[in-house]
Amino acid sequence: MTRSHIVSSFDEDLEELRGKIVEMANLVARQFKDAETALVEKNLKLATAVRENDQMVDQMEQDIEKTAIELIAIRSPLADDLREIISAIKIGNALERIGDYAKNLSKRVAVLNEIDNFEANNSVICQMIEIINLMNKDVIDAYMNKASEKAISVWTRDIVVDNLYDTLFRELLTYMMENPEYITPATHLLFVAKNIERAGDHLTNIAELIYYIVEGVPLEMVRPKGDNSSEANVEFSG
Amino acid sequence: MVNKMNVLNVNEGQTTSVQEPEPKMKAKKVNVYYGNNHALKDIDLNINPNEVTALIGPSGCGKSTFLRCLNRMNDTIESCRVEGTILLDNQNINDKKIDVVQLRARIGMVFQKPNPFPKSIYDNIAYGPRIHGIANNRGDLDEIVHSSLKKAGLWKEVHDRLDASGTSLSGGQQQRLCIARTIAIEPEVILMDEPCSALDPIATAIIEELIEDLKSRYAIVIVTHSMQQAARISQKTAFFHLGKLMEHGDTATIFTNPTHEKTKDYITGRYG
Repeated sequence: MTRSHIVSSFDEDLEELRGKIVEMANLVARQFKDAETALVEKNLKLATAVRENDQMVDQMEQDIEKTAIELIAIRSPLADDLREIISAIKIGNALERIGDYAKNLSKRVAVLNEIDNFEANNSVICQMIEIINLMNKDVIDAYMNKASEKAISVWTRDIVVDNLYDTLFRELLTYMMENPEYITPATHLLFVAKNIERAGDHLTNIAELIYYIVEGVPLEMVRPKGDNSSEANVEFSG
Repeated sequence: MVNKMNVLNVNEGQTTSVQEPEPKMKAKKVNVYYGNNHALKDIDLNINPNEVTALIGPSGCGKSTFLRCLNRMNDTIESCRVEGTILLDNQNINDKKIDVVQLRARIGMVFQKPNPFPKSIYDNIAYGPRIHGIANNRGDLDEIVHSSLKKAGLWKEVHDRLDASGTSLSGGQQQRLCIARTIAIEPEVILMDEPCSALDPIATAIIEELIEDLKSRYAIVIVTHSMQQAARISQKTAFFHLGKLMEHGDTATIFTNPTHEKTKDYITGRYG
């Protein structure tokens, strides 16, 4: 465990910054959870609320950035303090992007609602959201406990999200080939899935930042990739 | 642990790819005792030419003692005993054959408190060249005074009052006068013991700019209590703690990712 600073108010400032990161991560997780509920229960009101709450997420990012800049100006941080404060700005940035994906998902709920002849496969989407929210929780745990091993475990877990996306991608392509009417809803669902997959990528970025805060060097392993959809090509038969 | 190994490997890779120059000074297993007090323990440290080496550490850690070893200032302290080897261009400076006055002409020193002689600005600078017989005539001496003041960034401010007393200058100007006095005798190494601690931020910035400029001609070793100053002006940083050299390396690495826990605690202001 690292020792306290001689100037105890510096520790208090750092705690405050950490608290803001945790609060923002929790809000982003809730945004995804709500967007999921809105999608599954076709709840347009909730979808609108998610879109509106994104402003709070943006506000929090700005607040974290402001706090970090003030800390740099006032405390002249060095070594692990410096790494942590610079990384806080980047973590806030990543969380803001993740929040945007939840917002984007909730936007698409309305369109998907209007199409009733398409029985969407929400279970894969729900599964993906469950995993990224668990990654979110664990990465924040790793952040609070300065646990680089735990950060790596989150980082490697992203492959599951990638694989799910890849599976859904193929499935939706098949739907679209069967019936052109499915193209609109399937494309929207594909974007939804892609956004969740991107959120997972940002969580791995946060895991990398935590590794850097703790160890002082960048994580140099090569992350396993499970999303092969960018190379997928489906040929029409006959 | 695996990661720490990686760090070391990366650093080793860097030192092999970027050719380190032949050190200007080398300290090997230096031990210093004040009577029974073991003040410095087995210090191994190289000072590179054209680089600023910052010595940092809490009060009483031995950094000033080490600095004073480098031009044998500790000779003047009766109870002080220095063991080990300190080489200047591979010549042992503690060798009996070495003339200490000549040695200190090669390794100049600037102190914490500006200490100009109570003489004119001109004579403050001319004093060294005169006693070392560097200048043969008034013209040479004028040239040395002129160029030293220019190199120390003081010429513009004092060129029209070289007869004024050195002590009439401001603190920052006095310190630059002392630096001009040091470089007037063309040293090879300049030692600085907290040269800015008595100066305001602007005078400090001017001295720091000067140090940056001087390093193209000299090897500079500076003791400082300001972490930010060490980070700003030095290329190498050495951290002393309780008479030991805990860590030594590239300044950027020391201040972003120190290896030793004690270094981290000190530079981040934690209880150590």
